Amino acid sequence: MTANKILIADDEIHIIHVVAIKLRNNGYDVISANNGAEAYELACVEKPDIVVTDYQMPVMTGIELIEKLRAHDELKDVPVVLLTARSFAVTQEQQAELGVSACLSKPFSPKELLKTLQDILHQQEIALQR
Amino acid sequence: MRRQESLVWVAVTVALVALCAAALAGPQNSGIGAGWRNPATVLRLTMYAVGAVGVIFLGVSYHRRAAAVTSIAGQLRSAPDSSSQSTRLNGDDELTRLLNTRLEQQQAVIGRLQDELRELRIRAQLSERQKQHTEAVIYSLRDAVVVVDDRDRLILANAPAARLLGFALDSDRYRPLAEICGEEHAEFARLVQQSARSRVEGTRRELSFPLGQDVHIFDTIVSCVQEGEAVLGVAAVLHDVTREKEISQMKNDFVSHVSHELKTPLASITAYSEMLVDGEADDDKTQKEFYAVIQSQAQRLNRLIEDILNVSRIESGLIKVNKEPVSLTILIEQQMSMIKSYAEEKSIVILGQKPIIHDQVYADRDMISQVIVNLLSNAVKYTPAGGSVKIGTEVDETAGLARVTVTDTGVGIPAEEIDHVFDKFYRVGANNKQAKGTGLGLNLVKQIIEKVHKGRVFVTSEVGTGSTFGFELPLAQTELAEAT
Repeated sequence: MTANKILIADDEIHIIHVVAIKLRNNGYDVISANNGAEAYELACVEKPDIVVTDYQMPVMTGIELIEKLRAHDELKDVPVVLLTARSFAVTQEQQAELGVSACLSKPFSPKELLKTLQDILHQQEIALQR
Repeated sequence: MRRQESLVWVAVTVALVALCAAALAGPQNSGIGAGWRNPATVLRLTMYAVGAVGVIFLGVSYHRRAAAVTSIAGQLRSAPDSSSQSTRLNGDDELTRLLNTRLEQQQAVIGRLQDELRELRIRAQLSERQKQHTEAVIYSLRDAVVVVDDRDRLILANAPAARLLGFALDSDRYRPLAEICGEEHAEFARLVQQSARSRVEGTRRELSFPLGQDVHIFDTIVSCVQEGEAVLGVAAVLHDVTREKEISQMKNDFVSHVSHELKTPLASITAYSEMLVDGEADDDKTQKEFYAVIQSQAQRLNRLIEDILNVSRIESGLIKVNKEPVSLTILIEQQMSMIKSYAEEKSIVILGQKPIIHDQVYADRDMISQVIVNLLSNAVKYTPAGGSVKIGTEVDETAGLARVTVTDTGVGIPAEEIDHVFDKFYRVGANNKQAKGTGLGLNLVKQIIEKVHKGRVFVTSEVGTGSTFGFELPLAQTELAEAT
């Protein structure tokens, strides 16, 4: 069985680093990008199982990245977890509109992120089995 | 009156005596031929004459008395209660008393009327003065004030209102407001009309008005003025809140930026410490790496908090300044080493210059260090990978100044935004996506150089080529010489 591939997009290299270690320690394959534009290009090539993206990034924001993913034929259904330091930046309605699976506020716990990703993947598996 | 009465009685007596004397003298001296030379005849003629004069005097006196009585009776008859009083006129005393009473009453009435007239004049003057004061207050207000009557006609407005709505204060007075406002300000005219119809005392709404090249937002309060049930008119006050809204937006943006900036290092500290606690960093090397990240992020957090506090302290004048002779070259070298790792992460080269010996300024070492590091980190932040940042110092001995410049090969700043780059919380819109920031770094540079050290900051930039930020400070020798 191949490991689930997770794309992390954040302009803070320390965040990418620590999340990557946490996820790799738990058996996931991790790819990363420093901004939304890089993340989109990588997603088009790598077709990740989940995208974890920061809200505010240079060049292309997390929201713009999600909008581009939703417009892409092969990536429109990919689950997205949004990380944000601005608690009220994205409303519940916006999250629903963008198809955001979960939104975590910074500072977040890597354990919490791991559990969120596991839940999403589990639900996806159940949905596929049906 | 009594003297006149005595004279009448004297005249009557004289006339009677004279006529009696003439009658007695008549039979003895009568007959033709007695002649006027006869003394008896002369006496008789004289008595006749005196009697005649007395009779004429009596006649004239009677005529005058009768005329006076007729006149007074007429006056009394014309008065409302004259009929009852006139019947009681019984002699001069009664008449005189009534006349005097009437005269006194009329004088009292005239006195009261004069008092009332005086009071009315004072009230009119006060009212006019009050009106002038009200108009003076309205004319001196910076807010636009418009007052219309119950028929929507403009009766009072000040110059800001005339500018805002585009009418002439004199020629448009008494014209309907809807007509004056035209289609451009129809919303305002409708609001005023609605207020008069609904008789609401205070309606508040934000309205947009074109003013010059921009659109301004006005907090508009419209009140219907009533007296009892009657609508007297409508008064409207329009307060420009455009700047307040901009400041409010800037504050919101600042809070949002600051919370983001504070939470970012905090997120790293939280995540790395959790990993250490959970034993996810099992080897020494990884553990040390995690501790180093926590330390650097804690320092970053501290710097940010210091930036915010310093701006606040400088603005409030509460910051403690320790000025001493400081070499700019040494400070620049120290800060270059601090920023080096950040620049290397982005593959940016930082270029220094050969040391200058006489570049001492009389300044606060920590503050100028902060200025240099802010300029260097800003340059690195907005320079794409592979670019360079050059820092240099020059001394203008003639002007007694030391000048520091930081030149990058970054994205540059659009000409229309360059005047605002030192403003607090300002972030160049076009470069917003390039990097994160609070908009405090350059403002702090300006505050430290210009407010604390009486120097000058400057910037030149070209989009796509790069920017040069710098500052000038008086040389220590110049400043110390001036101080002594």
